[in-house]
Amino acid sequence: MTKIPEVWIFAEHQQNQIEPTVLQLISKAQAIAPTFKVVAVLLEAPDQQLEQTLAAYGPDQILAVKQSQLEQVADVEQAMILQQLVQARQPNSFLFGATALGRSLAPRLQAKLQTGLTADCLDLYFEDELLVQVKPSYGDNIMCEITCPERRPQMATVRPNTFAAVPVEADQVCQEIEVLTDLTWPKVAHFDILNEQVIPTPPASLAQADRIVALGRGAADPASVATARQLTAALNAQLGVTRPLTDDPQFAVSNQIGQSGQTVAPELLFCCGISGAVQFLTGITQAQTVVAINSDAQAAIFGVADYGFVGDAKAFMTALNHALLAKNA
Amino acid sequence: MKIVVCLKQVPETNQVKLDPVTHNLIRQGLAGRINPFDRHAVQAALDLKAQVGGEVIVLSMGPNDNEYCLREGLAMGADRAILLSARAFAGSDTLATGYTLSQAIRKIGAVDLAFFGRQAVDADTGQVGPIVAEFLGWPQLTLASQLTWTDQGLQGVRRLGALAQTLAVPLPAVVTATRELNDPGYLQPRQIKAGFQQPILTWNEVDLEADPARLGVAGSPTVVRKILAPQTKTVPTQYLNPDPQAAVAELLTALQAKNLL
Ligand SMILES: Cc1cc2nc3c(=O)[nH]c(=O)nc-3n(C[C@H](O)[C@H](O)[C@H](O)COP(=O)(O)OP(=O)(O)OC[C@H]3O[C@@H](n4cnc5c(N)ncnc54)[C@H](O)[C@@H]3O)c2cc1C
Ligand SMILES: Nc1ncnc2c1ncn2[C@@H]1O[C@H](COP(=O)(O)O)[C@@H](O)[C@H]1O
Repeated sequence: MTKIPEVWIFAEHQQNQIEPTVLQLISKAQAIAPTFKVVAVLLEAPDQQLEQTLAAYGPDQILAVKQSQLEQVADVEQAMILQQLVQARQPNSFLFGATALGRSLAPRLQAKLQTGLTADCLDLYFEDELLVQVKPSYGDNIMCEITCPERRPQMATVRPNTFAAVPVEADQVCQEIEVLTDLTWPKVAHFDILNEQVIPTPPASLAQADRIVALGRGAADPASVATARQLTAALNAQLGVTRPLTDDPQFAVSNQIGQSGQTVAPELLFCCGISGAVQFLTGITQAQTVVAINSDAQAAIFGVADYGFVGDAKAFMTALNHALLAKNA
Repeated sequence: MKIVVCLKQVPETNQVKLDPVTHNLIRQGLAGRINPFDRHAVQAALDLKAQVGGEVIVLSMGPNDNEYCLREGLAMGADRAILLSARAFAGSDTLATGYTLSQAIRKIGAVDLAFFGRQAVDADTGQVGPIVAEFLGWPQLTLASQLTWTDQGLQGVRRLGALAQTLAVPLPAVVTATRELNDPGYLQPRQIKAGFQQPILTWNEVDLEADPARLGVAGSPTVVRKILAPQTKTVPTQYLNPDPQAAVAELLTALQAKNLL
């Protein structure tokens, strides 16, 4: 009997929270490989219970290594543990979030396994058992399809917030949880963690926002910005901008959407006075519902908009503020 | 302390051409420059040398015109430069590149630290540093945003999302540099001139005693099989009433129906 191919996902976590990209990857893997076995691979300390979070997204299996040495662990050690698991079970593919840790750990593992790794993918699909990895190059100006035809596992890191995480129905929650508690790995030179400090993330975390009001040069005057700030408060949204607006000191790169800014994945995105340059559009491909407001009916932004208003951005935002006030009153 | 800094030459602009048959980058006629992150790596090496003494060697793998990035490293103050150039290296992916660079670092010998940029701005992978670390069996400090040399040795800070980790790293080690690490500043004409007066040593696969099966295309498990223009989604747009108030009323009804408000 041939073994069912397995897609593994590295269940990165921090401060006892699963990294959101992991859940996105579980959902994506189920969608692109319905006949494969989707396995979340978790390395955690004995007092952690992170498999609960993973189970709700319905991987076929959770493979958890639970050992006290995992309370504080170097990249090099994690790579050694994963190497053992991979060599014992031979997954078809192994996916990581393209986070700081994923991008440090995955290449280390790749070198141990002498296989291919594609960085920062924006799309993945299977052709039979071949994983096609779509990644941007040259500052998102080119997309490449990359494959690893001969070696296994096929490895990729995937840009955060590229796919949607979808919890499964109660009857599909993962039941198969395998726990390993007695792995050993050789002692090798690695860093020691002297200190860990949580740096509060700036309040405007665009990448995580469910609702975003984005402003471009057509809505950059002080009155429009003030109106947009009222609108973000009323909608419980974050404010984002196009690159030209970051010349204004009130906006930073952390507020900028696009290729050289943030990739966003809101449920609802308002684009006010934004032309829709390709460098901006690559940052919003995962937005679910896009409302475009632009005085130029030919603006490219309408090509990606679910709803379009051809007219003045400030007038539209003002009317929307009034309507929301009336609705909430 | 003997410090190697690996430099990648990247195209001057991101408007690049690719060979439609081999899918490799067409390099001829494209002015190159040093990968911006690698300048921070050179600066970190020079700062460390200023503190503890020693030697800074810049190393690059690529065609002969990769000399430019090495000259820039020399102009910044590196002591010597080595170019890894041979037909056998052509078409290397990150695994083969990492292998080739690790063989060169072995050949240099008695290296205490190897610096890399956090990633190259063309392919954006950031894989080569950790791969070299693995092949040499060294620990790695990736994404270093601070670096200090104390009586206890090398310490650095890296950010993992919201978490800032302070790490002590035993030598020899690999460090990948972020922009936050230092400010390399601009080069003076005098420095640039000096950079062009120094010799550059060239090594090929024989000098490296490399396994031919691990070099270039043969040693690269990944294949670029297609190149596409970035895609944007096209959706049918529902245009709203031209009157702002009527438009807003229409929109709110539609969004509520989709449970978005
Ligand atoms: C390497 C590189 C990276 C880049 N990265 C990014 C990036 O990450 N993010 C990014 O945004 N850009 C990026 N850019 C810049 C990008 O190419 C565009 O220049 C930019 O997105 C345009 O911003 P905009 O839409 O605000 O301005 P414009 O293109 O000037 O568009 C303004 C729009 O407002 C409309 N308008 C004018 N008045 C009104 C009004 N009263 N009411 C309604 N609409 C009005 C106009 O019709 C026009 O469509 C990058 C460029 C390069 C070369
Ligand atoms: N051909 C090369 N020659 C020398 N150093 C390289 C080469 N390719 C990558 N590097 C180094 O590895 C880092 C990460 O590159 P990459 O993995 O390609 O994103 C770069 O910043 C360089 O320090």
